Amino acid sequence: MVAEALGVYLRLAAATVRATTRRPAYLVVRTVAAALIVVLEVAGVALLLDRFGSVGGWRPAEVLLLFGMAFAGQGLALVFGNSLEAEKLSELVRRGTFDQVLTRPASPLGWVVASYVDTRFVGRMLAGAGAVVWAADRAGVAWTAGRAGLAVLAVTCAAAVVFGILLAAAGFTFVTVQGSEAVNVLVYGGLYLASYPLQIYGSALRFLFVWLVPVGLAIYVPALGVLGRTGPPGLPGWLAWLVAPVAGAFLAAGGLAWRAGIRHYVGTGS
Amino acid sequence: MRSYLALLGAGFQRQTSYRLALAAGLATNAFFGVVRTAVFFALYRERDRVAGLDVADALTYVWVLEGMFAVIWAPWVWEMAEAIRSGEFTVELLRPGDPYLRLLAFDLGRTLSILVTRTAPTLAVAALVLPLRLPPTLGGLAVLAASMLLAAVVSFQFRFLFGSAAFWTADYRSMFMLVFPVLWLASGFVIPVDYFPGRLRGLVDWSPLIPLLMAPVRVATGRAAGLAVAGQVGWVLVLWLIGRLVLAVAGRRLVVHGG
Repeated sequence: MVAEALGVYLRLAAATVRATTRRPAYLVVRTVAAALIVVLEVAGVALLLDRFGSVGGWRPAEVLLLFGMAFAGQGLALVFGNSLEAEKLSELVRRGTFDQVLTRPASPLGWVVASYVDTRFVGRMLAGAGAVVWAADRAGVAWTAGRAGLAVLAVTCAAAVVFGILLAAAGFTFVTVQGSEAVNVLVYGGLYLASYPLQIYGSALRFLFVWLVPVGLAIYVPALGVLGRTGPPGLPGWLAWLVAPVAGAFLAAGGLAWRAGIRHYVGTGS
Repeated sequence: MRSYLALLGAGFQRQTSYRLALAAGLATNAFFGVVRTAVFFALYRERDRVAGLDVADALTYVWVLEGMFAVIWAPWVWEMAEAIRSGEFTVELLRPGDPYLRLLAFDLGRTLSILVTRTAPTLAVAALVLPLRLPPTLGGLAVLAASMLLAAVVSFQFRFLFGSAAFWTADYRSMFMLVFPVLWLASGFVIPVDYFPGRLRGLVDWSPLIPLLMAPVRVATGRAAGLAVAGQVGWVLVLWLIGRLVLAVAGRRLVVHGG
């Protein structure tokens, strides 16, 4: 049953990907552009950090590892979640396309995600992963299975949190039709914040992005493990075990907000 | 002249009517500003001066950047390109007066609205709570305002050139997407170009990207302010000539589809 339902979405997603490959030049340019923004941003931050030598007690390469994880997580989340951004979803609602989605014998979320899979963000994800590998090499990380697992945990959990934010924002868009670009503060602002070691921020910002919108928790704590750092005094070692449950709970809360939004959906009559 | 002023006013009014977008924009600028401020405070904890900049210079850079962001990367960047594709742009060429000046007047009206409702409040609040380095005299502030206005003009001139790509190709966004990361870094939106290594900085300092962000920052902090404004005026003139040339060539090959 479940496998069959999943098959439908996979076929939908495959059709979307096939459609984009019909114009290979277009796809290549957009994928390269999505990767290039990561490369140049990381290069810029590397130049800045090399001038200063360290920030918050972290060496440049160690900070760049955070940047890589944040970009990889952002890329992974946007491959599936880009269609949920206010501008695009608002268009679906205003054109009445979403009315049709609701009448289909499929999950609305599954349908929207699968039909608008955005392959160019694979470029951003891979560039972020490349930055992680490059920064880890410069930081002298000796890779083990456990450390690789922690890096994957950081990227997937950061992606889960970003996807959760996009889901909640989509629920908001259903109610207001227009949506708000203010969500970008949480998505891009949160990831930008989590790209630096969290101890440089005040306690309010730290609390917000560790526990309420746990993108900081998702990146910082696994990164400590990858780098073999103990973190600031008072930080319990078992915190890494909390990363996946907290990110999962945030994603679930985002899913509830999406459902609440759909319950209040009235369409626009177009 | 009066019709251009009317267009300027119309642009101003149009932009000012987006109240919700203004609130969302202010929140975004404030958030990124706070994070960047925390980063520079942390960076300067053990150093007084790096590449000639102290913490006050760096914080001024942060908040001028946040204030100017929506002026430089205006969300309406593709309006002209879309008008060219749809054919509406021909109307622009038929109207009385000069099309380049008309587009500039309307665009400048919109960016003026952003300068008044976003840039000025953002900088003012930041200056109240943080040790920024802003001109201490009224005359100095006037020069800063002029420099920001020149930055707005140069940003229009870039928008015009990117939009003009639509005269030649339907896929006008691809080229921009590939160039954008370079513009983003070289104009100083990732880090101040002062931190670039010597040779790269020398190269970037002569580019038309400096007038966008780094020139107003230099005017604000009082480092080579005169040179910065002179550079802005020079690039406005050069980009003006290029823009007119593009318009003259493109106007002749503009194809209008019927229907």
